[in-house]
Amino acid sequence: MKAESSSIPVVQRRPGEQQFAEELSELAKVDSRQKPPRWNLSPWAVVSYILGGKLDNGFIVVPKYIGQRRLIEIAVATLATDRALLLLGLPGTAKSWVSEHLAAAISGDSTLLVQGTAGTAEEAIRYGWNYALLLAKGPSRDALVPSPVMRAMEEGTLVRLEELTRVPADVQDTLITILSEKTLPIPELASECRAVPGFNLIATANNKDRGVNEMSSALKRRFNTVILPPPETLEEEVSIVQMRVESLGRALELPAEAPALAEIRRIVTVFRELRDGKTADGKSKLKSPSGTLSTAEAIAVVSHGLALAGHFGDGTLSAHDIASGLIGAIVKDPVHDGVVWREYLETVVKDREGWKDLYRACRDHA
Amino acid sequence: MTEAVHLFGVRHHGPGSARSLLRALESLAPDCVLIEGPPDADELLPLAAKEGLEPPVALLVYRTDSPRHAVFYPFARYSPEWQAIQFALSRALPVRFIDLPQSARLRDESEAGAEGPSAGEDPPEARSDALAPIARAAGYDDPERWWDHLVESRSGKDAEVFRALRELMGAVRNEIDADPPLLERRREAFMRKSIRAAMSEGFQRIAVICGAYHTPALDPMPTAKADDAILKGLPKVKTAAAWVPWTYERLSYQSGYGAGVESPVWYELLWERRTARGAEWLSRAARLLREADAPISSAHVIEACRLAETLAAVRERPAATLAEYRDAAVAVLGDGSPTLMELIGRRWYFGSRLGTVPADFPAAPLVRDLAAEQGRLRLPPKADEKTHDLDLREPLDRERGSLLRRLRILGVEWAVPAAGGVRSRGTFHEVWRLRWQPEFAVALVEASRYGHTIAQAAIARIVEAAESARTLPELVERLEDVLFADLPEGVAPLVNGIRSRTAVATDVLQLLDALPPLVEVSRYGNVRGTDVAQVSEILAGLIPRLFIGVLPASIGIDEAAARLLWSKLKATHQALITLDDASYREGWLQVLERLSGSESIQALVRGYAARALYDAGRLETAQLEQLFGLALSTGADPTDAALWIEGLLSGNGAVLIHDDRLRGIVDRWLRSLSQEHFTQILPLLRRTFAEFPPAERRIIGGKFKGGAVAARDTEHSGDFDVAAARAVIPILKQIWGIGGDS
Repeated sequence: MKAESSSIPVVQRRPGEQQFAEELSELAKVDSRQKPPRWNLSPWAVVSYILGGKLDNGFIVVPKYIGQRRLIEIAVATLATDRALLLLGLPGTAKSWVSEHLAAAISGDSTLLVQGTAGTAEEAIRYGWNYALLLAKGPSRDALVPSPVMRAMEEGTLVRLEELTRVPADVQDTLITILSEKTLPIPELASECRAVPGFNLIATANNKDRGVNEMSSALKRRFNTVILPPPETLEEEVSIVQMRVESLGRALELPAEAPALAEIRRIVTVFRELRDGKTADGKSKLKSPSGTLSTAEAIAVVSHGLALAGHFGDGTLSAHDIASGLIGAIVKDPVHDGVVWREYLETVVKDREGWKDLYRACRDHA
Repeated sequence: MTEAVHLFGVRHHGPGSARSLLRALESLAPDCVLIEGPPDADELLPLAAKEGLEPPVALLVYRTDSPRHAVFYPFARYSPEWQAIQFALSRALPVRFIDLPQSARLRDESEAGAEGPSAGEDPPEARSDALAPIARAAGYDDPERWWDHLVESRSGKDAEVFRALRELMGAVRNEIDADPPLLERRREAFMRKSIRAAMSEGFQRIAVICGAYHTPALDPMPTAKADDAILKGLPKVKTAAAWVPWTYERLSYQSGYGAGVESPVWYELLWERRTARGAEWLSRAARLLREADAPISSAHVIEACRLAETLAAVRERPAATLAEYRDAAVAVLGDGSPTLMELIGRRWYFGSRLGTVPADFPAAPLVRDLAAEQGRLRLPPKADEKTHDLDLREPLDRERGSLLRRLRILGVEWAVPAAGGVRSRGTFHEVWRLRWQPEFAVALVEASRYGHTIAQAAIARIVEAAESARTLPELVERLEDVLFADLPEGVAPLVNGIRSRTAVATDVLQLLDALPPLVEVSRYGNVRGTDVAQVSEILAGLIPRLFIGVLPASIGIDEAAARLLWSKLKATHQALITLDDASYREGWLQVLERLSGSESIQALVRGYAARALYDAGRLETAQLEQLFGLALSTGADPTDAALWIEGLLSGNGAVLIHDDRLRGIVDRWLRSLSQEHFTQILPLLRRTFAEFPPAERRIIGGKFKGGAVAARDTEHSGDFDVAAARAVIPILKQIWGIGGDS
């Protein structure tokens, strides 16, 4: 570990199973509970990996998700029943993050991934062809290029599908046979690919723009749905931001020291107040900006500020370092959001005790 | 403690406790069964074995001199106490209640009054609090859930659980809850006393069934002397008891009875089904969802079952419980969102079961009479709400209507008028919403002092009310119920009561309030064939008084009082016009004439009177024009002028659209104004006209311009909140300096 941190890392961000390899191996050591076929860990150990805690041998597992325990339990139990899992939530509610770590803990591999877009084609879910081989030798198993889904079926691992509702509806429906029959027909070869036990799929989707490509009810029925809510309390959100900023800071080698909790709490408070449309004490109403102001964006603001502080400032996070990131995150539409932000600045930030520096910094940036 | 006494600590309404208890009782074969419950109801115990007594039922214990002070002891089929009673009765063993009698507990007003009718339970917080630290130590955040896993969801094969519980509770009470309140100490002292009594009678194997919380206090026992000291000097009141039907909803803790049953229906499943509970539980949810038009297939139910069981495994629990089934239902049936499950939540968790008590059980005669009536009229009590549309031309429906009204007179609100009013479907129909609630048992017992049949009691209740009511409207409100309850003997006292109060009523507003319902009764009464002659008599006494009283009541009042009077005058006008009696009509118009003509009458009322007269054809256009000019002349107070015109138009702009003569008057008057006067009066006119919908205003404006505007009233007329706008007027007045609030 030490040698690694002094040298330049090979990749910008390593997948979960590498980043937390030590945790996974420690968990595997103490895990004596029953495992579903081809699972690296038991459901209990997977839940512990995601939610964190102290193992019997004293090893401390960092929480990956801060929120309701029952949601993670439902998600893990779903995967154990070989039903597909659909994670719904607003942007920035850690859907992809949770799905990555579920795959990392269960299959030890979170890299089988299909990114759903409006242009996602059937090949991305089924298989494509190596046309040179196809033309030279005709259809054969060698000429077939399997998709991540097909590889997961063959290897009995988890595959992830991001933004399922962005995928055109007819392409979505190719999943139905795969999920219900656990098989992928290959009519060109008069054959099929049957899923090995351990195969399963985690899809994520944004439940606010559900209208993009509404899932058919036939497909919906193949999923158990878990909705990941925005953080319930200020404290919860603050600890999420702090945890992520610390790990990001390490990954990105930011020179600044970890930010004070107070600074994070201030940013999260601004985000929550604008998102909820009222001040934290519930006394005055506020306009909400057009953006979603998710926890993920709060994390971005803090790490942006940290970078500024480290490279251009004195190494500690100050109001000036976060002001530009804050404004950038909130003012997405210069006209409407600009008014919202100025109102917030003048009516809330200005008069709040101990926020003078933030007010001045934001004024300077305006 | 001696060998003779065997303690069984249970949880009230715990199916696991009940199952373990039965097994333990079978192996013990006791010769006497003692149960934590009210000795006041000992005599009713043998009835529990009678056919027709279907749980959920409750023992109602009440003070005979004041039935409002009452306590319920509810039992479900799976209550350990119920099973113990059945066990004893089926073997002809002596069975007794050993809790502190309610005759010593239903003492004074303050104590029982504060709690209201309550369930005969341990104070729930005492037990939960006591268990909380242990539940936490066991890794559960909810003590109820912990208990559920440990005791209620077990298969019930081991009697050992009782010994374990006793030790556990002993530890709890030693360490945490060492000093129980006086009432608890008295209850336990009485239990010990009862146990000693049974021992001295020579019983060899005494089974004692009580809340687990009490077990440590019953073993070892302190001396009899110490207990006597605690129990000394307890007051005593006379009590009576009865079996009454109960509902599952009341067993749940959401209704505040502290019985600690999250879902009585689930517990019933735990008790009755040994296998496939989850399948049945989720299938019920699926059925309810389908009734609510949610597309739920059997495949959904299968997947939800599998998820719930896996979830239990992930949570390392031996079997899936309510929490797992709920989570699974949300994830599979509800697409991740709890909204759909909340839709059926109540019916799924509580069901609509209502227990039954045979008609021949000892009960207040009134209760029996009601049961007989309900049977005769085929109107059985139901725990879920049902709407009944009674056709009053049918004799059966008319009698049903009478029964419902009689019960309302007795304070049993079994029937409430359906949304939109009881006569929303015309004069021959009455629409009621019916829902039986167990607490009606108390109201019925309380009403028993009025008589032995519903009809008798209702009459007696009316007679009492006629004597004791303070205000006239209070009595008039009842008149409708009484007339339509088909209680001719009740009408006379009530009418006399109303008449005597009419004579002495000094407040004309009360008379105004009383008139419209009386008129309505006299009109609808004829439809129903009720004799409403007496109502006409009342009217004959009331109307002249009203005519006399209105005038003085309209002088020297402020705007708020005028508005109140105005609204009542409108209702009265409507009532008197529909009454269709020439002399009343003539008298009323004369009153209006006096109201419109006198300067001293409040302006709003004056304006309204002018309008009413004009509508009735008593005021010629020229006369109205004169009044108009008078009221809005330069010399008149601007505020009065504005009120007058508001009264005249009475919130209705349409009249200016359709009545050319009236519009002509306004038009001529407006044209005649000097510029100064116009400027002065403009804000006041605006205030009146602003209340009309925009579309109406546009048409009025067009009409005044001379050209007829195409009626575009289909257009949205705007959501203009007049009341809210009015609220800012005083402030605007201040800002613009238009004078005070008057």
